[in-house]
Amino acid sequence: MSLTPDGPVVPAGGRSPAGTGSRPLVVALLGNPNTGKSTLFSALAGIPTRIGNYPGVTVEEKVGRCTHRGRAIELVDLPGTYSLVAKSPDEQVAVDVLRGRLPGVPAPDCIVVVADATNLERNLYLATQALGLGMPTVIALTLSDVADARGITIDATELGRRLGCAVIRVATPSGMGLEALGDAVLAAAESPPRPPRGLDGHLAAVDAGREPAAREAIARYAWIDELLAGVVSRRPPVRRSIGERIDDLLTHRVWGTLAFAATMLAMFSSIFWLATPLMDGISAAMDWLSGHVAAVLPEGAIRSLLVDGVLAGVAGVVVFVPQIAMLFLFVAVLEGCGYLSRAAFLMDRLLCGVGLGGKSFIPLLSSFACAIPGIMAARTIEHRRDRLLTILVAPLMSCSARLPVYLLLCGAFVPNVPVGFAWLRLPAVVLVGMYGVGVVTAALVAFILSRTVFHGPPQPFVMELPGWRWPQWQVVLERVREAVWSFLQNAGTLIVAVSIVIWALATYPRSEAAIDAEVAAVRRQLVDRLAGLPAGGSDHAQAEEELASLDTDAGREAVRRGAAQRQSLLGRMGRVVEPVVRPLGWDWRLGCAAIASFPAREVVLGTLAVIYNLGDVDPADEEGGSALVRRLRAATWDGTNRKVFTLPTALSIMVFFALCAQCASTLVVIGRETGSWIWPVVTFSYMTSLAWLAAFATYQIGTWLGG
Amino acid sequence: MSLEQVAIGTTARVADVSGADAVSLRLLEMGLTPGVQVRVVSTAPLGGPLELELRGYRLSIRRHEAARVAIAN
Repeated sequence: MSLTPDGPVVPAGGRSPAGTGSRPLVVALLGNPNTGKSTLFSALAGIPTRIGNYPGVTVEEKVGRCTHRGRAIELVDLPGTYSLVAKSPDEQVAVDVLRGRLPGVPAPDCIVVVADATNLERNLYLATQALGLGMPTVIALTLSDVADARGITIDATELGRRLGCAVIRVATPSGMGLEALGDAVLAAAESPPRPPRGLDGHLAAVDAGREPAAREAIARYAWIDELLAGVVSRRPPVRRSIGERIDDLLTHRVWGTLAFAATMLAMFSSIFWLATPLMDGISAAMDWLSGHVAAVLPEGAIRSLLVDGVLAGVAGVVVFVPQIAMLFLFVAVLEGCGYLSRAAFLMDRLLCGVGLGGKSFIPLLSSFACAIPGIMAARTIEHRRDRLLTILVAPLMSCSARLPVYLLLCGAFVPNVPVGFAWLRLPAVVLVGMYGVGVVTAALVAFILSRTVFHGPPQPFVMELPGWRWPQWQVVLERVREAVWSFLQNAGTLIVAVSIVIWALATYPRSEAAIDAEVAAVRRQLVDRLAGLPAGGSDHAQAEEELASLDTDAGREAVRRGAAQRQSLLGRMGRVVEPVVRPLGWDWRLGCAAIASFPAREVVLGTLAVIYNLGDVDPADEEGGSALVRRLRAATWDGTNRKVFTLPTALSIMVFFALCAQCASTLVVIGRETGSWIWPVVTFSYMTSLAWLAAFATYQIGTWLGG
Repeated sequence: MSLEQVAIGTTARVADVSGADAVSLRLLEMGLTPGVQVRVVSTAPLGGPLELELRGYRLSIRRHEAARVAIAN
């Protein structure tokens, strides 16, 4: 048959016979996606695996161990596949494992084909292909309890006789048939396989001019129809099943789309709003911890490293946990009940136009809250090209960390004038526009990449819409646990390391004498300015107030902090990059704040506050925010009276923040999820270049229009 | 006539799948073989994919894939 281009499978040489001595019996689980294969794996081997209701969830190799009647068994969970004529990398893995072609993975001694009893016709396609390999094979009919409830009866004994292998009905929640399955596996591994020969007769009936694989597919279904005649009987349904009626509603052009919009709105807003109190709680707890550590330790480099480096880094990691947990909870529930495939079905057309697919929708939507859970959610996309494209454009969605920057700058520098309607104000339009900038850029980038770098044959969208089921809570919790744990363990450690590096850059070198000199210079400047201002004016009063605050301990400390940061390596880098940021309308302080915010954009306001000698005010609260706005409005270019912050500059900063890859955590997660350091580098380079170009255009056009 | 033109809610019989690439093979492997009965359950908005019912399960394919599936009159 056409399945065996490499000839018959031979057992790997030099091994002791299966099941004797110390070598365990290697059993491979093969099956279509959504057949309960991973659930069966958990029931047999006990090791929890990620499972779901969405085609292609099982993409990793999973191995578990169990014993049956004293015999050690190694269970290999193969990626879900519809056919042994591989079309995707996942399917290729399944074929390679079965043939023993993967280095380090032993060829299985026995195949257990997992077939969904409620969908036997299509599931037997893969099962009969597996039988054709000529290896010991057992067929496990999963979801047999569901099939019974739907009035589907299967004569498993007769089917087994026709196929020449054991066919065992199993149901995982009750454990029905698991003992019998184990016995059948041991028996099959001992006796020579008897591949059925029924396909040959049907092959002769198909037009010989066709392509061999197509010919085989047609003949195989004809054979399956013959195999199932008299074996499967369906009690005619009295009325349409609830699942079918739900499905008709949820995939309806109008009602389905409305239901989808409502579901997404509920999910998105809960990620946004429900996670916020938890994130605030985590931040407060970390602040409390930092405060205690700071109080216990003497002032110096160690305290600074622990509080501003390590603890700040850890806080920057754990703060993402609520959003990740929340998103994966929703995704696992939607996946578990079968809705994720319906969502992809409804959204496919919209995303197809820009070179993505329906399955990119949830990762991209989630990225408006935070790109990290969004990129992790791209795991549900099985085509590598679509998944990579989704990951590359996800950070362009304006995440919640950009919002404070937009709000501060829109409030401070965009004139609060109505646009067309009295209720529609310009700052609100600019705010929405910033979200639009991200979305439009993402669409353009995806469109261009899908037609150039990622150009290839069209990805087929042949997707099963699995039957509706209740999500299993153990499975849902396992998904959430796995997502949070893999984030903390792999990305978390790197993020903390990056935070420590940035702390060092912002702290060293440090010269107390130079800091004292700068504080004195700032005071002298202020005194000179005061002398030049007419007494009684508001400017005079403000300068007087500034001088008074400078002479307090807190005021002096704030200026000292600012001076230390300006003298640090980071501050020097700000001056070095000034020629680069000047065309964007920024002075070196803004360049410095932009560099400092590359690890995490949310620090930009705090950095600006320190650079502008405000010390530790919280720019997010009203008082701190208005103090920062006053300072920013007063800021002038060094040695001139020309204001730094004009409308074009504010817009150019916002556009830069909308498009720039200022999030080390996102880059680390991209590296982890793609398994390569190339993609974070690509993401960082293209986003930063785009951000600079767009900010440049914004400032230049804005200045030209204004002038 | 192709599957793309079949009205929602109606059942049709597949005559053939054209093409000799991976997409047409996948359509055949998913059970869209000559002679099989297919019901078009619904379509996604904006000219999106079709939802089909065949061989006791539900499958979604894009329109240009459905256009490859010829229908018996």
